[in-house]
Amino acid sequence: MNQTSLTLLQGVVVEEEIHLTLVELCQACSAEEEHVTAWVFEGVLEPVGESPQDWRFGGESLRRARLALRLSRDLEINPPGVALALDLLDEIAALRAQLQRAGVR
Amino acid sequence: MKFKDYYEILGVPRSATQDDVKHAYRKLARKYHPDVSKDPDAELRFKELGEAYAVLKDPEKRAAYDQMGSQWKTGQDFQPPPGWDAGFEFSGGDFGAGPGGDHSDFFEALFGRHVGGGQRAHQHAQGRDHHAKVLIDLADAYHGARRGISLRMPMLDAQGRVAMQERTLEVSIPKGVHGGQHLRLAGQGAPGLGGGPAGDLYLEIAFKPDPQFRADGRDVYVDLPLAPWEAALGASVAAPTPEGPVQLTIPSGSVAGRQLRLKGRGIPGTPPGDLYVMLSIALPPADSEAAREAYQAMAKAFDFDARAQGKG
Repeated sequence: MNQTSLTLLQGVVVEEEIHLTLVELCQACSAEEEHVTAWVFEGVLEPVGESPQDWRFGGESLRRARLALRLSRDLEINPPGVALALDLLDEIAALRAQLQRAGVR
Repeated sequence: MKFKDYYEILGVPRSATQDDVKHAYRKLARKYHPDVSKDPDAELRFKELGEAYAVLKDPEKRAAYDQMGSQWKTGQDFQPPPGWDAGFEFSGGDFGAGPGGDHSDFFEALFGRHVGGGQRAHQHAQGRDHHAKVLIDLADAYHGARRGISLRMPMLDAQGRVAMQERTLEVSIPKGVHGGQHLRLAGQGAPGLGGGPAGDLYLEIAFKPDPQFRADGRDVYVDLPLAPWEAALGASVAAPTPEGPVQLTIPSGSVAGRQLRLKGRGIPGTPPGDLYVMLSIALPPADSEAAREAYQAMAKAFDFDARAQGKG
């Protein structure tokens, strides 16, 4: 096993400091433009801008796009199914957060 | 090497049709998908399912696997018989089509190693972006921190074999970062091809479980138990915060479940999060004569029906 040396790296917080174009988002999550476009159409991702060339995705889109990619690839879910699954997962996450705030573990 | 019974993993008999195999896989994949399941073994189970399905869905691979006979049981020590796959011609080189593409020794001994995959070799292309998760302490989000992070990455060596390469990165965790956010480290992903730029590395931030504090976005929650008289009469008590204890005024007539908000005492930022102190009431035990008398005195002093509300 090889070791490489240390340098101090500064990162940027994606959710707050970054907007991604369609090409950048596809590169960041190894998805195809065709899939991302279909998810936008189904409301999984909500970029600002009119046409695909002008789309700008907020940093939160990165998490959603990767989740959408895994679900569609692993479970062979089509875009409307991915949209439904993500809505339900969001709802479950919100309910879990409520439980956690109330101290139920 | 241990034998893996792919039929047992998918829960189908050896006589199952291709449709049965697909049906069983789909059902179990939905159940154990790591993004959906809360089962602690979900990731492992899901990988195993993917591997079993990669073999049984493919008539060629399934026939080769079946040829080894049905006397094998999961977990038995196993070596493939010499020339076991003679006479089989597998079409297409890519065995890693299943989820993850990262298979057991058993699978690799039978069907070979899946190397690389994904991006086609362009003459000149940006390297792939990589993703990893890091666990940080809540205190790191309050103050910022430097953290050493070890990452393991499969790399092709000079002979074209896959070797695990470990690298350690020293990363600056910015103050104010919170769970679920990503840090982008430019140029720390896979090297580019043909002189193209390297990809980026994305680190997903999660908090280590804390016995005292719970974070939700920038807001932080903490429990504060009170004695019944502190809640009823009001009091000034020491309350824990991630930045050290503060003296907190409890208003008289406080009830369990009430939240006191300490504005701006959550995770820093613009705007900063809030700290919510969740009040609960701890009853002292009636374990001495004096304590029992005190409870009896309370019973006499109050005309109190604890269940009055339920009666409407």
